[in-house]
Amino acid sequence: MNVKALLLSLLLPLAALAQAPVIQISGANFRPLPLAVSAPLVQGDEAKAPAGKLDETLMYDLRASGLFQMLDRASFLADAKEGVTAGSIKFARWADVGAEALVKYTVAQENGELRVEARVFNVGSGREEFKTTHGAPVAVPHKLAHQVADAIYRHFTREPSPFLSRITYVRKSGTNRDVWVADWDGRNAKQVTKGGINLLPALGPDGQVAYTSYRQGQPDLFLQQEEGETVRLKTAEGQMATGVAFSPDGKRVAYSLADGESAQVWVADTNGGNRKRLTDTRYGINSSPSWSPDGKRIAFVSNRGGSPQVYVMNTDGSGVKRLTFQGNYNQTPDWSPRGDLIAFTARDERNAFDLFAVNVETGKITRLTQDQGNNEEPAFSPNGRLILFTSTRNGTPQLFVMTAEGNNQMPLPGQEKGAYLTPDWGR
Amino acid sequence: MGMGSNRGGGRVTMSEINVTPMVDVMLVLLIIFMVTAPLIQQGVKVNLPEAKAAPVEAAEKKLVLSIDAQRRVYIGEAEVALEELETKLAANAKAQADKELYLHADRDVPYGVVVDVMAAAQRAGVTNVGMITDPSAGGRASNKGKKEAKR
Repeated sequence: MNVKALLLSLLLPLAALAQAPVIQISGANFRPLPLAVSAPLVQGDEAKAPAGKLDETLMYDLRASGLFQMLDRASFLADAKEGVTAGSIKFARWADVGAEALVKYTVAQENGELRVEARVFNVGSGREEFKTTHGAPVAVPHKLAHQVADAIYRHFTREPSPFLSRITYVRKSGTNRDVWVADWDGRNAKQVTKGGINLLPALGPDGQVAYTSYRQGQPDLFLQQEEGETVRLKTAEGQMATGVAFSPDGKRVAYSLADGESAQVWVADTNGGNRKRLTDTRYGINSSPSWSPDGKRIAFVSNRGGSPQVYVMNTDGSGVKRLTFQGNYNQTPDWSPRGDLIAFTARDERNAFDLFAVNVETGKITRLTQDQGNNEEPAFSPNGRLILFTSTRNGTPQLFVMTAEGNNQMPLPGQEKGAYLTPDWGR
Repeated sequence: MGMGSNRGGGRVTMSEINVTPMVDVMLVLLIIFMVTAPLIQQGVKVNLPEAKAAPVEAAEKKLVLSIDAQRRVYIGEAEVALEELETKLAANAKAQADKELYLHADRDVPYGVVVDVMAAAQRAGVTNVGMITDPSAGGRASNKGKKEAKR
């Protein structure tokens, strides 16, 4: 071995160490990291209002991630004017509130742009670990907050956060059920449909929205490009099409097509071409398709065994395998983008709807929600770490988020009156 | 609850112990013990009382409340108004996880002030309070023993 190779072999473990995540998200050793986020140092009075909104969104993102024990600002002992560099911070005061990591950030406004400089410190060593700067127009402080939260999340986990992704859902208002698209936390919501009955929306990887609508009398599939017009998916001549799901590459859709006697799962290109029926049961229902992250398999619900259960099959319809054997009512499967789990809604022995996850390989079932109203319609975040769902624990169904293990259940902020239904998380 | 079910039966003996007063008493109680000072390096200067009682060796660092001779109260090295102490401690993740803190008070601080601080800590959910004392001047029995053993 020459000297160069020896040096390289010495350096490699160091490089790997530098890349190691601070927080190991999965595994038995996971413990939320006690994190103090100091209130922002705002430069200039005009930046105060947008900085307040930014702070609220940033704090929500970090709290909802489930990675951190977010320390209460009411306990903080540092001087309000304490600086944002390691030399000016009294780390003992942060250790005394239990912090292991500290985030400090400044907000400034220049020429209609809001700028954030955020730093992450290790309280024990008193060192600055990470610094990130971001800018966005003053009108969208939430967007800027998501960017800062994403940078902090990436620093601690070495993987992308869910904070820059989008969600879609149905909101009931009067007799209408409309499709909406929003930021991951439900803010910045935009109405996609204008009245009528619209159901079961799905978000494609390029921002396309597909949904079922009764605008032509019978349920049909519609597809709206992010900035474009709405086209009807020509997949459903004379039959009822519902429950569309995008393939991971966004080129194919799976959906359920019903006639008088049965409902079958079909796949097609997003323009309606290459239609193919995947299930073939004489009677009964096959519905709610969800793609595996590699695009090779589809999870779906079928009552071919007598009660609705979760099944998986290959995308050509072969290799059908039943996955759930407990309970007599399991539905709305959603395949984790990490591939290992399928979350679903089950009716338990007390007739309450709750969320469960089944391991695709072992069939092991884990309960995610319990004793808090009806919890339905799970949808995994793009990184597979969070699950969005609806819950009736506060009365009408609202959107909630929790970790993939069922911890840290929180409602999305700023939800208005009227039921929120059938969410989907853009991948 | 127990009494309501015995309506009309005047001679029925109450067989349950009424635990309410006992719980009240328990809530008022703080567990108090002595801690030696050298472990606790504090920025706040106080003249610690000397104590001959055998102190507890603190295994890990707990949150320290200091009261100096001017009756100023500190959490760690940060001065806190007495009125804010309860709020600060109730929100403090370290105090809430440990349920224990160390009191580092000057020997000339009136007993009433110490009790005020301890009461605030107790209302904030702290159950154990370690009283930091000065082992060097006071008769720290175990230390003397060690020295003698060395000779």
